[in-house]
Formats: sequence, C-alpha cells, structure tokens
Amino acid sequence: MLRKRIIFTLIYDQNHFMLSRNFRLQKVGNLKWLEKNYKFQEIAFSLDELIVLNASRDKKSIEEFSLMINGLVKNVFIPIAAGGGIKSVKDAELLFKNGADKIVVNSLLIENPTIIKDLVNKYGSQSVVASIDYKKTSNNIEIYINNGNLKIDLSLEEYINYISELNVGEIYLNSIDKDGTGFGYDLETIKQIQSKITIPLIIAGGAGNEIHLIEGIKQKGVSAVATANLYNFMGDGLSNARNKIIKNGDNIANWNVHKRDI
Amino acid sequence: MNVTIVDYGMGNINSVCSALNYIGVNNINISYDFNTLKNSDKLILPGVGAFNQAMKSIKERNIDVYLKELVLNNKTPILGICLGMQLLGKSSSEGGFSEGLGFVNANVMRFKNNNLIVPHVGFNQVKINSKSKLYSGFEDDEADFYFTHSYRMMSDENINQSSCLYDEDFIASFELDNIAGTQFHPELSQHNGLKLLSNFIKKI
Repeated sequence: MLRKRIIFTLIYDQNHFMLSRNFRLQKVGNLKWLEKNYKFQEIAFSLDELIVLNASRDKKSIEEFSLMINGLVKNVFIPIAAGGGIKSVKDAELLFKNGADKIVVNSLLIENPTIIKDLVNKYGSQSVVASIDYKKTSNNIEIYINNGNLKIDLSLEEYINYISELNVGEIYLNSIDKDGTGFGYDLETIKQIQSKITIPLIIAGGAGNEIHLIEGIKQKGVSAVATANLYNFMGDGLSNARNKIIKNGDNIANWNVHKRDI
Repeated sequence: MNVTIVDYGMGNINSVCSALNYIGVNNINISYDFNTLKNSDKLILPGVGAFNQAMKSIKERNIDVYLKELVLNNKTPILGICLGMQLLGKSSSEGGFSEGLGFVNANVMRFKNNNLIVPHVGFNQVKINSKSKLYSGFEDDEADFYFTHSYRMMSDENINQSSCLYDEDFIASFELDNIAGTQFHPELSQHNGLKLLSNFIKKI
C-alpha cells in the first residue's frame, strides 16, 4: 500500500534557517548551527522527504540558495524539493544540479505559466510541486502569491483547476493563518477540497505535535503532511513522532534495514 | 571498484553519487565516453524526465550503441533507476510511442485507472522476489522504497521481477543476469535503498 509521507520544511533566508509564524520570519541559525545542534543528517533518517524554501523577502539569490542545498543534501538519502524565487528554467536547472530532486513553484504559476509548462516538459510532472498559500476570511478563502503579499482573484477551487491544467505533479497547500501556530492543520478546508484534487496533496501550516500529523495523515485525500516547526520536531521530536504514528497503526513507511547492515 | 553513472544530461545525479559514496564506492565517474564506460566495473543508468526526450539524448550521444556492446556482449552489470529502468525496456507510450534500449522484454505505459491519483509518489511496499540478489539480506518479504512516476513497466515474461501494488501490480524491480532495474529510487529510500545499491555493487 502506498504510504503517507511526513515532510519537514526548512525555511531559509540569506544563509539562515528561520521560524515562520503567519509568514513573519524569525532567524534561528545557519547550516552549521543546524548540523551541530540538530544533527540534521540523523534527523533526515526519520523523514520521508525534505522541502527547502527560500523565503527571503529581499532579492532572492538562486546561486547562494543552490550552494546551501548542495551542502545540505550530503548524506541525506530522501527526496529534496527546493524552491522560492524560481523565475526561469535556468534557475530550476541550477537547483537540480545542486541536489534538488524536485522544485517548488508558487508565484511563477501566475506570473509565467509558460515556464511551468517548460519545466514539466523538461523534468516531468513528478519533479514540479505547486505551492499554494491561502488565508481564510469569515466567508471566503483568499489565495496569495509573493510571500503572502499579493492576493489573486481566484477561488481555491478555481486555482486548483488552473494548476492541474499546468500538469504539475503535486500540490503543497499552506495555510497562512495556521503557519507556525502549532494549533493543528486547517482540516476544515482540507476536507472541503481534498476530493477535488487528482494529484498528490501535501498539507502544511499548523502542525505542532504528532497528534496533528496523525489528524492530517488520516485524511483520505492527503498524501503527505508537512511541518516547518524546527523547535518542536528537531532533536528526537521527529523520530519519536514517527514511532508513535507507526505504533498507532497509521500508514507510514517503516524502514527495516538499518545502518549497521549495509 | 569503478562505477560509472551514464550521463545523458537528465536527472539529479547528485543523490546517486552521494549514495554510492556513502556505501564506500570511491571511484565514481559521470560520463558517456566509450572508454570510460568500457573500463567500468558497473554502470548505473539514472533518470528523471520524459522517456522520449531521454531516448533522444541517448541516441544523440551514441550511448545506445555503447551500452549494447558493453551490457549485451561484455556483460557489464547495469542498474537502471526509475526512468533509467524503463529505458532498458522495449518501449514506452510516454509522449507518444518510443522504442527503448530493448534489453528486457517489457513495456511501459501510464497507470490504467484514470481516477487514480497520479503521479504515484511516496514510499510503497515492494513484494520481494527472493531470487533477486538486489534484496539479499532483506529479512522480510516486503520492504518500503520511494517511488515517483506516472508510467509503469509490465512484462509477460519472467524477468525476476519484484512487484508493487498501486491500483494494479506493476514491476518495481527486475534482475536478469547482469541487467537490473528499479522503478523506485534506491538513492532516496533511506537504508533500504542504500542496502539495495550495495547489493548491486557487491553481488551483481
């Protein structure tokens, strides 16, 4: 049976990793700090996948970001998706060359859908993840691009249809309201739209503990649950959460070969 | 041990190199030069992207001719990964009908069920064929590996396949003497994948 995935999202801004709360960023440390304090390569062995997003609000340097990815992927044997500020096929190529297995696109979906099609043709649907940032108002769901700054004039359902026609491989659905809160995923919206999506759906925003991850995993249309909460899930947090989820009988991968056997 | 990753200009070769390094392969080349390929103990054919484009790049670089000589005549072991495995088959319907390298009698088509969530992404259980050396040392009869693909391989012949279920049974891996392939990505499959790569290097 196809397993559900647990994904960690690292948020990056100019040589540092960040905590994000409702899209406001707070610096926590650089790559050395991440390796030293969290033994990132060990933690990766509790993850199904890693997403790294360049959330810099200033001009994003793909070159600098790619170099960081290059350092990060060493001895990490899970798929890595990278994005934030991709404006051309050349930008994507640089990320792929430096160790990304997939790319994540957001604003470009609206700004230049032709490039999205080029990326899909060149690298295949499965290599392109479409990220959607949304906010809820009292009676509406609003879609945003440009780091949550620019509202676009489409309903969530319309936007999902628009994205599906571009033939991307996955959707990363991120709630700006829940981002970094630790209050749990926006299950209400997820329940509303999951049956309307025909490609794998990754949900993000709000996970603060393993109960939240389990709530997400249990949704039929959800392929993967993502969290960017460095403090809650680093250290032993993720491996403990993973063990609890397996014990709970939920359908996630169980790697039965261990380091010592290779 | 001298391993060459066949470079036809597609895919993330980085993670394959990194995995080979981890399991102790020191001499890794990334090349499509005939002499480099010829002097290799093992070949790896990686790949992401579309089948027809990949075949086009392979033919432009004469890699099809080289591989026929080395894999079919010299019996150099080869491991195709994901699209690389599919390319070892006879044909694919991706992007219109295209012929593959034809080393194994198998064909590649899209998942049949139109209501299925495609691509098939994530870890899925492979039913291990105990005759396959790729899995030696795996104690259970199933193991999780990471897949990401929209097209899958089928064969009417016994090519020592191990299968995976996603709405239908398809070929997760095969192993015919010196020719092996995995639809999943061992380099992205944690220790299960590293073990499988190590088996390919040591036992095939």
